[in-house]
Amino acid sequence: MSTDIFSPFLDATRSVFSLMFDISNIGERPADSFDFNDTISICIGVTGDLEGNILYKFHNDTSLKMVNIMSGMEIDTVDDFVTSAISEIANIISGNVLTMFAADDIKCDILPPVLECPEDNRVYAFTNVFCVSTSIGEVCIDIKLNPKKK
Amino acid sequence: MLWKDKYELGVPLIDKQHKELFRRVEDFIKTIRSSASWQDKLQRVNETLEFMKVYVVEHFHDEEEYQKRIGYPGYAEHKKIHADMVSYVCQASKDYERGNYNEMYMQQLAGKLLSWLINHVASEDQRIAKYAIEKGVANDEH
Repeated sequence: MSTDIFSPFLDATRSVFSLMFDISNIGERPADSFDFNDTISICIGVTGDLEGNILYKFHNDTSLKMVNIMSGMEIDTVDDFVTSAISEIANIISGNVLTMFAADDIKCDILPPVLECPEDNRVYAFTNVFCVSTSIGEVCIDIKLNPKKK
Repeated sequence: MLWKDKYELGVPLIDKQHKELFRRVEDFIKTIRSSASWQDKLQRVNETLEFMKVYVVEHFHDEEEYQKRIGYPGYAEHKKIHADMVSYVCQASKDYERGNYNEMYMQQLAGKLLSWLINHVASEDQRIAKYAIEKGVANDEH
């Protein structure tokens, strides 16, 4: 598989932030300095030509700002409403990634979002952890995918 | 306010319905998020939920009819996206009833609906508008 697996995640995140939050200045940086405390972790399972998990980590502050932009309401606590709205954003980004994969003839499906990925000792062929930096905070994306066994 | 002018597609028939759809979803979310206790607002939550559900189904149906009328090539795919969302809303509603009207189910539904609706209108529905404008049928009201 020669296709670039990772770029679509940055492109899809950039597209969703631009379309839904009017944020266009989005950069990429390594995850080394990302503060993994106080985050919402959303796991999206992937099946099909690629199999594995995508873990999105949104800082609580960033999540609240995203929901405030969408709803026009001032919400200051991460609760079921906020977690569900952010889970759907992870779902939307992943759906956009799959559309980009499909253009390269990689056919996959995604599973409904869940909080945290299951413990898993598998070795993955495609792994990457990076952060997407925006004016309302950062999102960390942890990609673990394998080509489907033939 | 949930509705933003940037969501306008330039197709009057759909724009009018989207504004109504956003109004009903906003009513639902505002009721869910109001500071009153869950017991005190339960009746209002259930009313706005039903009011919103009826309009979601009605709007999706009308929008699909419009797509058929103008020969939109993405009709089948769009119809499936609508069907999946209706199925999700109905299931969430059933879980809520079976779960003794627990607040959690409605907070989760409202959160999902918020993100889904904005993405759907700002992204998926833009494709219908682009097609309608290119075909010169954007002002077709019938």
